[in-house]
Amino acid sequence: MSCCLSPQEQMLQNQIEGRENKHRSEAGHVRAFKILDRVQTLTPKVDVERGKYFTESMRQTEGQALVLRWAKAMKNVAEKISVYIDDDQLLVGRAGSQGRYGILYPELDGDFLDLAIQELDKREVSPFVIDPSDAKVIMEEIAPYWKGKTFHEDLAVALPEDTLKLTYYPDNVLLSRFIVNETASFRSSLQWVLDFEKVLKRGFKGLKEEAQEKLAALDPYSPVGNCEKRPFLEAVVTVCDAVTIWANRHAALAAEMAAKETDPVRKQELARIAETCAWVPENPARNFYEAMQSQWFVQMFSRIEQKTGTIISNGRMDQYMYPFYKADIEAGVLTEDEAIELFECMWVGMAQFIDLYISPTGGAFNEGYAHWEAVTVGGQTRDGRDATNDLTYLLLRSKREFPLHYPDLAARIHARAPKRYLWEVAETIKEGSGFPKLINDEEIIPLHLSKGATFEEINDYAVSGCAEIRMPNRDTYTSCCAYINYAAALEMALYNGRMLKYGDELIGLETGDPMKFTDWEQFWNAYLAQQLNFIKHAFIQQHNIIRLRAEHFAMPMGSAMHDLCMKNCVDIHTPQIEGGINLGYFECIGYGTVIDSLAAIKKLVFEEKKVGMGELIEALRTNFEGKEDLRALLRNSPCYGNNDSYPDTIAHAIDKASLEFTKKYSQELGVHLDLRYVPFTSHVPFGRVVSATPNGRLAWTALSDGSSASHGADINGPTAILLSNYASKNYDYRERAARLLNVKFTPHCVEGDEGTAKLVSFIKTWCDLKLWHIQFNIINKETLLAAQREPDKYRNLIVRIAGYSAYFCDLSKDLQDDLIARTGHDTM
Amino acid sequence: MAPAAPQAFRPRPAVAAGAFDTRNRLHKEKTLPTLPDTKQKGLVFNIQKYSVHDGPGIRTIIFLKGCSLRCDWCSNPESQALHRQLAYNPQKCLGVDACKRCLDVCPHKAISVGEDRKVVVDFTRCDNCLQCAEACPADALNVYGYEVSVEQALARVEEDDIFYSRSGGGLTLSGGEPLYQSEFALALLREARKRRINTCIETCGNVPWEVLKEAGRYLDSVFYDVKSADSARHARVTGTGNERILENLRKLREAYPGLAITVRTPVIPGVNDDEASIGAIADFVCTLPGATYELLAYHRMGTPKYGYIGRTYPLEGVGNLPEGRIEELRAVAKARAECCQAAN
Ligand code: SF4
Ligand code: SF4
Repeated sequence: MSCCLSPQEQMLQNQIEGRENKHRSEAGHVRAFKILDRVQTLTPKVDVERGKYFTESMRQTEGQALVLRWAKAMKNVAEKISVYIDDDQLLVGRAGSQGRYGILYPELDGDFLDLAIQELDKREVSPFVIDPSDAKVIMEEIAPYWKGKTFHEDLAVALPEDTLKLTYYPDNVLLSRFIVNETASFRSSLQWVLDFEKVLKRGFKGLKEEAQEKLAALDPYSPVGNCEKRPFLEAVVTVCDAVTIWANRHAALAAEMAAKETDPVRKQELARIAETCAWVPENPARNFYEAMQSQWFVQMFSRIEQKTGTIISNGRMDQYMYPFYKADIEAGVLTEDEAIELFECMWVGMAQFIDLYISPTGGAFNEGYAHWEAVTVGGQTRDGRDATNDLTYLLLRSKREFPLHYPDLAARIHARAPKRYLWEVAETIKEGSGFPKLINDEEIIPLHLSKGATFEEINDYAVSGCAEIRMPNRDTYTSCCAYINYAAALEMALYNGRMLKYGDELIGLETGDPMKFTDWEQFWNAYLAQQLNFIKHAFIQQHNIIRLRAEHFAMPMGSAMHDLCMKNCVDIHTPQIEGGINLGYFECIGYGTVIDSLAAIKKLVFEEKKVGMGELIEALRTNFEGKEDLRALLRNSPCYGNNDSYPDTIAHAIDKASLEFTKKYSQELGVHLDLRYVPFTSHVPFGRVVSATPNGRLAWTALSDGSSASHGADINGPTAILLSNYASKNYDYRERAARLLNVKFTPHCVEGDEGTAKLVSFIKTWCDLKLWHIQFNIINKETLLAAQREPDKYRNLIVRIAGYSAYFCDLSKDLQDDLIARTGHDTM
Repeated sequence: MAPAAPQAFRPRPAVAAGAFDTRNRLHKEKTLPTLPDTKQKGLVFNIQKYSVHDGPGIRTIIFLKGCSLRCDWCSNPESQALHRQLAYNPQKCLGVDACKRCLDVCPHKAISVGEDRKVVVDFTRCDNCLQCAEACPADALNVYGYEVSVEQALARVEEDDIFYSRSGGGLTLSGGEPLYQSEFALALLREARKRRINTCIETCGNVPWEVLKEAGRYLDSVFYDVKSADSARHARVTGTGNERILENLRKLREAYPGLAITVRTPVIPGVNDDEASIGAIADFVCTLPGATYELLAYHRMGTPKYGYIGRTYPLEGVGNLPEGRIEELRAVAKARAECCQAAN
């Protein structure tokens, strides 16, 4: 997935593409490039301060209400954590030391800490370094306190035996089995967006006053008032103070540095920083700079407060920042370049915070320092008009000119999106290595209306995390749910409830020996039984997770910023909040792999009888050794992603069976637990436990990604990919959630204005089809070189030359080289 | 690559103008009872979605078999013969140690084992029975050409209808020479027009005027190849003179003043990559009101396919145009167009 390139990888790629210096020296970009150059090559460091001061406070507050304990812990951190002002930066506030860094959340996964310290710096992907003295702090001050107290440990104890063995190794719950994989123990909740506008407009002072008024108005005789509401409101007051203290410490440091600074320009900048931090986020922002600094403080403090499922997203930045921008521009106190500079100061700040996953499972889910701090642009206003404005275009411009993988830019697309917007989005995709990703209003809005949102709320949704959306004052925190390995279900149908990786152990259901099946229906039913069994256990996990989450986590600042939490005086982790909508999901991993495998079995084994079931299973057991011909035959049978109704009908049925289940049972859980196809990078570790599959996939290799086709199986071009996706969806169910869709284009397809126009019409059609998400990968030279090395994965690359038809991988090396040399400049 | 087997197919002097097989009688002759358009069948070798360089918008190209020219640089050699034919791509062969399914089925012993343990096809012995392609699991042995009805072909085309309505795209017929299977091609175009599908064709123009004239009634745009303004040279490199081609183009322009015509020249080293050649064609284009002119740079991407069907590439050893050459020639064409506009 393109969103998982590390900054170095990205920069390297930009260098290869000769893009590196294009905008370096232009006003607006110089500062950010300078900061980036300093930090980008450093290996991330573990910073222990957050974990240390959080733990220190939690030790002292045992027995009190959790939300209040949390707020006090935040205050302790705010008072003691080191504060920094980086050279050249205009925005200040870090959750850890200078350079690239990650921080610790021992309350979540502290039981992994011992293990992690030994292994983090040796990880092949996403390594971290730990200072020996910090390791000592972890071992002596942090880890011991959390022994037996973490969420992960409680969950492992709570799971029934049958569920446990699909989740962890029964004899070592620190290790995941990657079958029905819980994800709740490496993040406290699903991705989230805060209502940043609230702080910009009212300041934490305003929120604190609201809490104080509510405290004063509490019924003094009410037990709920005394035991639940009071500590919550006190927590809000405390956390508002905490953020303010933290900001003021920055103001003091800036003033001190300004006094010593000899460079007059920097001296002035520091003075302004001091002045700004003394005012926001405590008070309402008065100009664009203050709004940016206030947002940044909130964003960074939210990371200190808690590890959500992927860090807190940034919401509709082009909307809530716009009034400040507009006023400053009109008053002549801000230029476009200055605004760009401030945004880019934010992007390089983001690039330094690395979402650290302590557990090996979390790491495997997020390879390459993955990050999803989505900044949303475009879309509609609360009353359903097009929402694009000058800032929308400025943010797109920044992505084109400062080609960093931060922020994760998301563009909302709707049926009436203006031409200029679509054009600039398409141009940005071409320039900005695939960003922005696109999210479709025409799917999201009606779907969420049916889930209970109002027009106003859903029109104002923000993209959150990888492909999700949030209504920051309407939906509420949702527990992370299972990632389900559908390919493992298939394997269990083949081996009667067992998997080659786990030997003779019966993990799934005994659905019978497939050798004895006489028709396709029998095989399909066996598969379905395994699939439903997985979902059943996912829901059992979830039932426990929902209960446990509220016992382990509280989020006073996040709650203070949520209308419903303030109204009901409850923490956002409360399982059911009156008036809220709980939007959760479980994950289907390996969709394409399973569809193609089932299609091959149906066609070759049962319909055409070209392959015997025994022959097939034998070949799978031996990973096709000496059976390359059979493997080739399987690979050439109909595959999902080609708008071919044969596999697409199976795809539709798999999707439907999952939706039926959740339609029936998610109500019992009191949440929407819908079906999603967004794997992060987990299709790789999930593939590592699945042996060879009947679509010709070799053992232990990656599964298919999201709702995309198996690697290289979509050989009919991008329109067919969209149509297959459309065909496999069940539009009559509301139990569907995001589907991730990655589409590759060769640069030649999108070359010049004509190419942009064609990309725009492709996007419009995607919007018409009501698909949820799409992200483009504009293939570059590097990819073509990779296709040369690994033709198997790139069978679908069509060489698009006028009047000519062929696949890239069918060309000889010499011709491929020829094509590579032409990429990007010539018209063929 | 297959070893230098004697060529099964000798390109030239191959096809006399108008040497059609029976399926290509003109529609209007009506010597046989005519099938309804949707039931007409033809031989196609590929239907390619998401085509972006062959007409407006996002399009689907149907590549038809058969052609009356034999251009040396043809990048779709599999299009030329009007019959289903065997193709063998050794890169995809699994080797006889893993698989020998084809060896067992060939009735003519046309398949043997090569030094690299992959199979070798002797195209002189092969009679295109295609049994080996049916047996091959890896698509190494494959078939160029399959029969489809107009109904089936347009069903494939209409799958992408939603993309056409957003992009202004539609159907493009290409080949070979798409009008070579004239009845089928005309039925396709007629039916496409009836279904409001935008239509485009890539033609070499070397077809009877009546066919082109009929096609023009159902077309929205045309790409019309002119390879050389010099008939002798044209005959040398394509097997046929250019008289009918130029004549047809002129008539097409006159008959359909509203039709979008783009004249295209594939610029081939040593054939027409000189200023005089391009200038002469550009001058001719200038006489066609409203026609646009574009140059396509020679490429060798079709070469592997010659090997697949047991032929050798006539332009073996010819390299790409020198860097910048195509831009220079475009400038020449542009200058001519401007000067003739000024003259008119
Ligand atoms: S197509 Fe040719 S090579 Fe193949 S089986 Fe028939 S005769 Fe033999
Ligand atoms: S059947 Fe295909 S893969 Fe097998 S040996 Fe023949 S050409 Fe090679």
